[in-house]
Formats: sequence, C-alpha cells, structure tokens
Amino acid sequence: MAAQRHLQLVPRSDDAQQPAAVDAPEVTASAPRTRSGRAILKFDRVGFAYGSRTILDNVSFEVEQGEIVSLLGPSGCGKTTILNLIAGFLMPTGGFCLAGGREIVGPGPDRGVVFQSAALFDWMTVAENIAFSLRCAHKGRRERDAIAKEMGALVGLGDRLDAYPYELSGGMRQRVGLARVLAAKPTVMLMDEPFSALDVQTREALQEELLRIQQHTGATIVFITHSIDEAIFLGHRVFLASSLATGTFEEFTVALPQPRDDPENRLHPEFIRLREIIYRRMRNPGAPASRTGAP
Amino acid sequence: MSREKRAYLIVAVLSPLAVLALWTFVTHQKAVAAIILPPPEAVFASLIDMLQRGYSGVALSTHIGASLTRVSVAFVLGSILGTIVGLIRGRVPLLDAVFLVPSEVIRPIPPLGLIPLFILWFGIGELSKILLIFVSVFLIMMVSAHAGAQSATVDTLRAARSMGANSVQTFRFVILPSALPQIMTGLRVAMGTALTILVASELLGGDRGLGFVILDASSFFRTTYVFAGIIIIGAIGLASDRLIALVERKVVHWRGKQH
Ligand SMILES: Nc1ncnc2c1ncn2[C@@H]1O[C@H](COP(=O)(O)OP(=O)(O)OP(=O)(O)O)[C@@H](O)[C@H]1O
Ligand SMILES: [Mg+2]
Repeated sequence: MAAQRHLQLVPRSDDAQQPAAVDAPEVTASAPRTRSGRAILKFDRVGFAYGSRTILDNVSFEVEQGEIVSLLGPSGCGKTTILNLIAGFLMPTGGFCLAGGREIVGPGPDRGVVFQSAALFDWMTVAENIAFSLRCAHKGRRERDAIAKEMGALVGLGDRLDAYPYELSGGMRQRVGLARVLAAKPTVMLMDEPFSALDVQTREALQEELLRIQQHTGATIVFITHSIDEAIFLGHRVFLASSLATGTFEEFTVALPQPRDDPENRLHPEFIRLREIIYRRMRNPGAPASRTGAP
Repeated sequence: MSREKRAYLIVAVLSPLAVLALWTFVTHQKAVAAIILPPPEAVFASLIDMLQRGYSGVALSTHIGASLTRVSVAFVLGSILGTIVGLIRGRVPLLDAVFLVPSEVIRPIPPLGLIPLFILWFGIGELSKILLIFVSVFLIMMVSAHAGAQSATVDTLRAARSMGANSVQTFRFVILPSALPQIMTGLRVAMGTALTILVASELLGGDRGLGFVILDASSFFRTTYVFAGIIIIGAIGLASDRLIALVERKVVHWRGKQH
C-alpha cells in the first residue's frame, strides 16, 4: 500500500500559537508504522537557508528506530542538506532537528555518514580506515584489529585489510566507507548516493548486502538516491521531495515481502506498481494531490 | 625495473653526460676564452688540487663542513618553525590575521636586500649567515604548510568528526596527513633556495665555506676553482633533493594515486 500525503502540517505563521506536538498525531495516525514505532529522528518544522536563499522551510518528518527511509528528489532540492542537518554538519535556521529525543548540536559517532565520495583516508590502510572511530575512542590495537576484521569480512573485504584505498576499486572503496561507519556502531546511518557511481551488478549486490547488514545491526538508515528502483528496494518508506523550500514532499510506504534482501523483490508486483506511481509523480510534480500552500 | 623506469634512468644519466660532452667540445674548439669557460679537465684538476691541499690554507672538508652546518641548522629550524606557523595560520583565522601583513611585507624582499640590515643587527658572524638562510626557508615552509593545512577536503573532515574525532585527533589524523604532500614539496623548494642563499650569506665575510671559495676564487679570476666550487654545491643540492624525494615517496605514498 502506498500512502500518499504531504507533510506540511503546520504553516509557519502558526508556529507561535500551535505547539510542536500538533503534527505528531496526524503523521502517525495516517500511516501506521511497520517498525518499532519509536521515533529516533524528528524534524520539527525545520528551516534552512544559505544566506537569503531558502533551501528548506517547514519540513517535518519522523524516522523510526530500525527503519530505512529512502529520500528521492530532483537535483538541488535539498536532500543532502537534510542529511547534513541530521549529521550535525549544518545547523537549522528554523525549527528543531532531534536525534534520540535530543536536539542535534553537532556531528557525533551515533550518526554515521557514508559519503558519495567515500571520503576515505588515503594515508591509512583499509583496516585503519575501518577502525578509525575506535582509535578516536582510544581503544587498544587488539580491539581495533578485531573490529576491522569483523567489519571488513561483513562487507566482503576480509582479504584487503592491508591495502590502501587507492589500491581498491570504486565499489570496494564504498564498502570501506560502509564498514567504517558500521564499526562506529551508530544508531543512525546517513547515506548520500553511496552507490551511484557503480555498475548495476555491484550496485545491486551492495544494496542486498546493506539490507542484510541492516537486518543484522538494526540500524536506522536514511538513504539518498536518484534511482527509483534503489529507493523502493531499500526503503521501508520512500520520501519523494518535490519542493523542500515549501516543505512539501510525499511519502510512500513500501510493502515488499520479507526477506527484504531477496533480489526477486525487484520483480514483485508491488515493486513494479510503486515504481510506476513514483515515476509518474516525478515526471509530473505539479499535479494537485501533492500541492499545498499554493494560492 | 619496468621499461619506463629504465628509460628514465638512462635519460637522467645521459643528459648531464651530453652537457659535459658539449662543454668539452666547445672549450676544445677554443670558441671561448679559458678564463670565461675553462675546459672540464682543468676544473677537475682544481677539484683534485682542493681535495689535496685545501683552499686558502683551509681543508676542503672544512669548507664543506662549514657550509653544510650553516645550511643544516637553518634548514632544520626554518622548516620546523615555518611548518608549525603555516599549519596554525591555515587553521586558525585569527592567528592568520596576526601573521598576514608582517609576512607578506617581508616575503617579497630579496634575501640579498636583507644583508646590510643583518650585518647591522647581528654582525658578520655565523648568526647573520644562518639567520639569512633561516628566513628564506621559514617563509617557503610557512606558505607551503599554510596551503597544505587547507587541502583536507570537507568530506574527510566531516567524516572524521562524525566518527568521534576531537579537534586534536582531526588535526593529527586528517589535517596533517592532507598537508604532507605540500609540506614535502615545500621542503624540496626550500632546500634548493637554502643552498642559493648560502652562497649569498657567505658574502657576509668569513674565511670558510663553499660560498667563500667561489667568491674568493672569482675575485682572483681563478675560474677553474669557481667552477669546482659550483660543482660541489650542485652535487650537494642534487644529493639532498634526491634524499628528500626518497623520503617524500615513502611518507606520502598515496600522492597522485587517488582516484
Ligand atoms: N555551500 C552552499 N552555499 C550556497 N548554496 C548551497 C550550498 N550547498 C548547497 N547549496 C544549494 O542548496 C540547494 C540544495 O542543495 P543540496 O546539496 O541539499 O541538494 P541535493 O538535493 O542533495 O541535490 P543533488 O541531488 O544534486 O545532490 C541547492 O540549490 C544548492 O545550490
Ligand atoms: Mg546531494
């Protein structure tokens, strides 16, 4: 079932009169959650601007613990900005960003980021890259080696731990970026088009790997992508951002059978159906159903 | 050894031999006066003479030792301090502001222009010579490290922070390694400049050092000794550059290999 609705629940001008609590019941009431039901991320009427340029306005949503949310939307609509706000790299210019019930004040190991560019440390081996968070936490060499081995094996790089990033292929580097975040055991993983530069085979293999890992660790994931297929295959929900500067986006619940990492899910009727709906919505974002705040 | 590497090595050896051959040819054709450009074998004879009997009553090794000491002290101190100041300037805007005007005012002054001042302030002894080289090395390293400190990418810095790195760890594990390629290049440039300034600094007087040999020999038109001195300095330059380049390859092994 795809639940379509927009999330602009409280107009900005009403902020003073309407306390934050108002939006929560409506969101949860209209879309029953399949996951834990406990919100780990919460955007409450978040605004963000670069100078006088508004990028986000009045954006509200929640992500539940253990949930995978895919974020789709046209280039430049503000997806990375949302990720940067959750990561704590940017601060909102309005509203509140909460993680685990607390306001986000900066980056932290509870929220790991997998960058589109992988952003590995070229001067460190794969093992050192993976164990970086443990080094920062002053863990001993033995523990670091053990975790590097474990996470390296988990992403299929067990035999390349002593290599340097420049000796790896693009797909392998992405896996190091993933393992490095997994090693920090974050409660939330933020992934910004991590697989976009890869060939279809590698990409699909990594998608399945990611779903297995998520099952295993129970991490919450926010996943940005430009691929409708990837968004549906990975997500429990898909957010389709049309105009984040006016706070509007649509939400689709993905009802694919378990186990979610089954490659056959890509041929499932629900998958095909959802893909068609989302495709039409992306081609025709001006259709009335998703519009709000228009005169 | 790969084909490319072997070809590189062969060309690198052949090119100076070609210059030597040309030099021999030109001088033996008597195209130029020997006092302007002496033949290679005469220069070689002077070199042997200096090795055996020294120059102006001082052993050649003493001349070389005096020069090397000046360069080494100035180079080590100048590169350490220059790197530290440059890194700080690259990361702390307010401290950068403190250094901006003074360093940019000093930087364009040719070291030779500083000589009269240094004589006035520090006399004509070792201190003046070392300081002159030190200033050049310091300025080069400051600029290199400053640029290097800013070459860490936003994504690697953010990645470090989001994996729990504090400011010290971010500096040590990300900013410093990212700056190393530029610091190493700076060291090579600074070493070349240090040897250049060495000769100038030995204009300040004194009776030992390779610069002294060259200047003294030239004022007596002993051209073969001038060339012999130049060749020794050149050899030191070549050896030190190769040494730093070797260290560079080990230290910044990832350079130029990123995808
Ligand atoms: N540092 C910046 N200064 C000014 N404007 C910026 C900056 N970074 C991003 N923007 C603007 O903010 C808007 C949203 O950027 P963002 O990176 O969030 O887009 P995106 O949805 O991730 O796009 P893409 O799919 O292309 O990655 C864009 O219009 C962009 O031009
Ligand atoms: Mg983006």
